[in-house]
Amino acid sequence: MIVQLLVSGLALGSMYGLVALGYHMTWATSRTMNFSQGHVVMVGAVVAYGVHVAAGWPLAPAALAALAVCGAFGLLVERVAVRPFFRAGSPVWLLSTIALGIIVENVVMLAFGKDARAFPSSLALKPVFVFGAGVYPQELLLPAVGLLLMGGTQLFYHRTTYGRRLKAVAWDSEAAGLMGIHVPRAVAVSYAVSSGLAGVAGLLLAPLLNVSPTMGTLIGLKAFAVAILGGLTSASGIVVAGLLYGLVEALVAGYVSTGAREIVGFAVVIAMLVVRPWGLGGARPARRV
Amino acid sequence: MRRGSLTLLTLAVLAAVAGAPAAQQAPIKLGLAAAVSGGSATSGEAIKRGLAIAIDEVNAKGGLLGGRKLELVVRDDEGNPQKGVTIARELVEREKVAAVFGGLHTTVALAEVPVWHELATPYVGTWAAGTNITRNGKKPNFVFRVSANDDEVDKFLVRYAAEQLKRGKPGLLLENTAWGQSNEAGLTKWFGERGVKAVGVEKFNWNDPDMSPQLLRLKQGGADVVMLVANAPEGAQVVKSKAKVGWEVPIVSHWGISGGRFAELTGELSEGVVFVQTYSFFGKQNARGEAVLKALKDKYGVKGPEDVTAPVGTANAYDALHLVALAIEQAKSTEGAKVRDALEELKAEYAGLIKTYKRPFTSEQHDALIERDYIMVVWKGGKIVPVAH
Repeated sequence: MIVQLLVSGLALGSMYGLVALGYHMTWATSRTMNFSQGHVVMVGAVVAYGVHVAAGWPLAPAALAALAVCGAFGLLVERVAVRPFFRAGSPVWLLSTIALGIIVENVVMLAFGKDARAFPSSLALKPVFVFGAGVYPQELLLPAVGLLLMGGTQLFYHRTTYGRRLKAVAWDSEAAGLMGIHVPRAVAVSYAVSSGLAGVAGLLLAPLLNVSPTMGTLIGLKAFAVAILGGLTSASGIVVAGLLYGLVEALVAGYVSTGAREIVGFAVVIAMLVVRPWGLGGARPARRV
Repeated sequence: MRRGSLTLLTLAVLAAVAGAPAAQQAPIKLGLAAAVSGGSATSGEAIKRGLAIAIDEVNAKGGLLGGRKLELVVRDDEGNPQKGVTIARELVEREKVAAVFGGLHTTVALAEVPVWHELATPYVGTWAAGTNITRNGKKPNFVFRVSANDDEVDKFLVRYAAEQLKRGKPGLLLENTAWGQSNEAGLTKWFGERGVKAVGVEKFNWNDPDMSPQLLRLKQGGADVVMLVANAPEGAQVVKSKAKVGWEVPIVSHWGISGGRFAELTGELSEGVVFVQTYSFFGKQNARGEAVLKALKDKYGVKGPEDVTAPVGTANAYDALHLVALAIEQAKSTEGAKVRDALEELKAEYAGLIKTYKRPFTSEQHDALIERDYIMVVWKGGKIVPVAH
């Protein structure tokens, strides 16, 4: 039983981490984020369903198309729901990104329908057994791809010029601007990448979770909890927090009660906000006097 | 004198002929108050189809009360009780409907109960199964139902688990909503009657991705049958997780898993899951079944029974409309109180889609379908087939 729970927890936890990284990326560059990250997960899955299952494209181009749509959607979110308010220094982006998510959900309901649809995958047909615990191969793919992408983001930040630019914007956007970095563009790019990550999560989850207009809502919410736990400013903190959150959820559900799962999960978040509001991996902000 | 009376007679005939089209121009309006948008749109659409097909049949036979055609007025409750109350009033006060049919949500149906009584308008539920909708303590009771009733369903499911499957250690697996809760009470009660206590009660939320912790807990508790109350997406996750944890246990389910595309979502894993229905379009159909399927094909492009989403909505609504039509004919009026009385004392026998209704309602019983009318069905090769007893 314990192995079963650990496997379930790691698989889900890595998805929470992946989606939560999206919150981190835009937060780092602009101190804003897309509160509808969960909806982007759904968009990735729905587009992939549309071109792969309904239109019959092979999987690889279908996946690329889905990621492209997610990236473009990220740019759209930044342009219409964040930038106008961000410039005015108003926190309205918080509401406008939620509103955009609701609009997208309803558009998808009209275009795609309300029913959950199956996304066939050879990796989610038959469980394999590891140490007595059953697991769908697709579930093993989740942490593998998740950790790979998390590592990739780190390399991007530290090893590429553009990544360093983004990091500079994250550090001090005013100074970065003075150094000749196009800050609005950097912010837009961070939104596209952030949505792309959510899109990857959508693609990976589609065969396991089924495709429906509401499939991403809960994931988005839990990923947000993970982002708070890990620290919005710390990518590595978020990765660790994601895995921990998944494990705690599975263990609480297995050994205490499934009803207690959400209670414990979100109670930990609140406790964290009180005790260590900058999160597991975040640095305590210096107080300006 | 003779010539004069002939003229009078001619005039009278002319008047009668002229009068007939005038009467035809005043149709009898019937309302549908259901969720036809958003998350539960499929159910609303299924109900609408059942009503529309039955209305076409009535109208093709010349309508009611000497030639008055039936007309359906649809209002969307959006699954919201507040909205439900608003549209209930609108349907009666502005549209002057003779009777109203209801939709999927128990919460909405319960909120509307006082409105039907205040406005003296008969209401016939076609989906929501909440026990208290019809057993609402009102006298006279304006609320009827041609659908399942949670309490009766729970009794049915418990009897199946205990007598057909001979299981004595049930584990309950329920969605974490009011619907799950009301069935927890019902299942506990009916198992209790047999001296059986559930070995575990587990809940899950909508869109929960992985049900293996819940199943593992029930397995550890020693459950030998899982009683499932879930809609299609979550039901699908349950059977997938069950395969994953490698647990061979029968699942006996409420009808929520029939509302979506359970078979598509689960593939061969759906095999063997049994659940309750009021009707199945699979297998041999009676004459009405053939007619309804044909109408679904002609009018809505439905390819076959596997393409009828939410079949119980269509079947229940179809029979409900014919029962109301008979009541209006018997009451010789569209007045709410008279139609209500006629429903309670329906004289005509109606050989319907689901069953033959003889005196379907009484002052004590406002559910036309009860435990013995339900059928147990099972997924076989992606199709729903009745379980042979």
